[in-house]
Amino acid sequence: MRKPFLSLCLSVLSAALIGSAAAETLTVGLDADPPRLDPALSSALVDRQVMNQIYDKLVDLDQNLKIVPMLATSWKITNGGLTYTFKLRGGVKFQDGTPLNADAVKYTLDRNMTLEGSVRKGELKSVKDVKVIDPLTVQITLSQPYGPLLAVLSDRAGMIVSPTAVKKAGADFQNAPVGSGPFSFTSRKRQDNITLSANKSYWGGAPKIDKLVYRPFPDGDVRYANLLSGAIQVMTPIDPKDVSKLSQNAKFKVLNYPGLGFQGIWFNVTRPPFNNKAFRQAVGATIDRQALAKSIFYDTVEPAAGPFPQGTPAYSSAIKVSRPDLNLAKQKLGGKPLSFTLLTTPGTVTTQTAQLYQAMFAQAGINAKIEQVEFGTLLDRADKRDFDALMLGWSGRPDPDGNIFDFFTTGGSNNQAGYSNKTVDALLAKARAQTSMSARVATYNVALGKILDDAPYTFVYFQRNLVGAAAGVTGLKPIPDGILRFSDVDLK
Amino acid sequence: MLEKETPLLVFALRRLLSAIPTLLIVTLLVFGMVKLLPGDPARLMLGEEATPQALTELRHSMGLDRPLAQQYVGWLGSVLHLDFGASLKDNTSVGSLIADKLPVTIELAVFSMLISLLIALPAGLLSALRRGSWVDQGVTLLALSGISLPNFFLGILLIYLFSIRLAWIPASGYTSLLENPARNLLLLLLPAVTLGVHSGAVLTRYLRSSLSETLMQDYVRTAHAKGLPARRVTLKHALRNALIPFLTVFGLQLGGLLGGAVITEQIFSIPGFGRLLVDAVFTRDLPVIQGMVLVSAVAVFLVSFLVDLGYAAADPRIRYS
Repeated sequence: MRKPFLSLCLSVLSAALIGSAAAETLTVGLDADPPRLDPALSSALVDRQVMNQIYDKLVDLDQNLKIVPMLATSWKITNGGLTYTFKLRGGVKFQDGTPLNADAVKYTLDRNMTLEGSVRKGELKSVKDVKVIDPLTVQITLSQPYGPLLAVLSDRAGMIVSPTAVKKAGADFQNAPVGSGPFSFTSRKRQDNITLSANKSYWGGAPKIDKLVYRPFPDGDVRYANLLSGAIQVMTPIDPKDVSKLSQNAKFKVLNYPGLGFQGIWFNVTRPPFNNKAFRQAVGATIDRQALAKSIFYDTVEPAAGPFPQGTPAYSSAIKVSRPDLNLAKQKLGGKPLSFTLLTTPGTVTTQTAQLYQAMFAQAGINAKIEQVEFGTLLDRADKRDFDALMLGWSGRPDPDGNIFDFFTTGGSNNQAGYSNKTVDALLAKARAQTSMSARVATYNVALGKILDDAPYTFVYFQRNLVGAAAGVTGLKPIPDGILRFSDVDLK
Repeated sequence: MLEKETPLLVFALRRLLSAIPTLLIVTLLVFGMVKLLPGDPARLMLGEEATPQALTELRHSMGLDRPLAQQYVGWLGSVLHLDFGASLKDNTSVGSLIADKLPVTIELAVFSMLISLLIALPAGLLSALRRGSWVDQGVTLLALSGISLPNFFLGILLIYLFSIRLAWIPASGYTSLLENPARNLLLLLLPAVTLGVHSGAVLTRYLRSSLSETLMQDYVRTAHAKGLPARRVTLKHALRNALIPFLTVFGLQLGGLLGGAVITEQIFSIPGFGRLLVDAVFTRDLPVIQGMVLVSAVAVFLVSFLVDLGYAAADPRIRYS
């Protein structure tokens, strides 16, 4: 008799303590602590999860990656793609009461382009000036046509900040962010939580949940345990190994949908051995993408044939995923020995992937040594071209330009290989200047044919977005950029 | 010739003064080590989207383009004014970050040392008194398991049992003691047990061996021969002497915990000192790393200083000269 009584008491006690948080609070587990909540300064992917609730953007993306109205209700592209005129939504206020108008939009875009340390400068490089036409009309003029502009404005560059709040907080704005989004910033405790509360006067209608709490859990197992125990109701991402377990559990659901990024291997084309194109092709030919997807990722990734995942505008079924071909690899090697070092970061999945690559290369007689350094060092050595080959991917952007231009043009900021091909440069410049998507896609496909043949990079797989949620969470939309939007989410 | 006895206060002052050169060397080592770390903090902050121009700007505003000696002297100068600089990540002052995180870790450390004493004192005593018996063997086996069990494993095991299976205790989080004492203790229970089991097991082993050694000393035999009650001999004479090595190990364990119970804080998502350090190292947040290592060095020094003073209380034969 005593034992059940004791456990009953304990359950009541802990229920009182755990359940003291009201049902309208939704807690989300993230894989990292978002560093900077200022759209101009944010450089981490995870920042966007939180910022998307605090700030509205000029435009947003829907599930099919179509650009849809948000703060801008309509827009016109004139003057051969050089002028973008946005009509703004009327009556919108920032969370601090400041009216959101064309002045605020101009202030934000100018700030993104001039603030010291702004990471948005690159994305907005083609913007010549921003003009206020009337309180609800704003006009952006470009120095050269730039097709990806709308997609860029659907992300951090297009998040509109309250000028009053920025002027008041100064350098500390990142710790006291104010936007016009569905949730306003309440507090943050580093490494513990970021708490947002519902913006009751949100123009799109008050959110259904009152409080949104983000908590960082860098370890996937810990994040998973917290979802199971009910400490969090949503987690992103789920480790691939936990996906099938979680989807079989009736108390939870799994959202598994395509992402925008790609993963693979860079070759340093500026020094031996990979200044030899045949060697790069030989290494690429040994990789069995299906086997990798199955054995390491439990089929939660898609084999990749290029930088554009299926479902994104530039995806082309004409470009096929290459099958492993050891004879081709040996033929490309031409009997010459090939040994190199594969640079990667520590971590279970990266280590397993590197080891599997190593085994695949070895089948063609290629000898690879694995060297692991932490992420900052990897980026630094990539910049200095101090590597033979390295594993590095990209989180992806909704516009195709964001997945190819900076990677394969001469001197591009993400061109780790040191790759340079005048034809590719010209084609990629042409594609971003075109306004019709079908014309752009055709240009990308020609460029891609050359890039795949030159092989400065071997595309291996596309990651999917893997989100776990308690069964009672409704209204989560699978938008491929992987950012969860909570304005319509409810908890039952 | 007998040396004149030094009063405790003079000893304490001398110890504190002698720490100054040591701490200066620590600052030099900390600064040097952080500079030796590969990778560029500016590159890491700007991440995948860095343009060369943005990198140069950021390096300049972070002072990374100044000569090393100048950077060191500048840093040391502000440290002497108790200004540890601002975090590169979000511009908060390092001093306030540490002041925010340290109490959490101190509370966790104290809580887990209490648990470890609760384990070690009875277990060690029992084991030493019943040497060779099945009780002793059982305790030894349990202590060995406790030492060998990795923290992360025990932590996950406790979460699985108490949070997922039984749903008695939340799996993670932290509420301050002032805000909600009951919830604070509830949330710290599992992490404190995780840490306490390990140090409790270590301390049990030390207490057992040092107490059984003391029990075989001549003066203990003499005390027995004089007809003193066994209980008094054990508790008053033997245990007191046996506590000296025990105290040293206790101090080391506590110092280690204050330096950051890194893994346990990660598993239970406790926003303490250890987690901040890990995060700072991964994001190359140099001012935070430097400030924290310095504060840890001071903390370890303080604990060992207090342990030295504690010897006197446990054993009056120890004199400070």
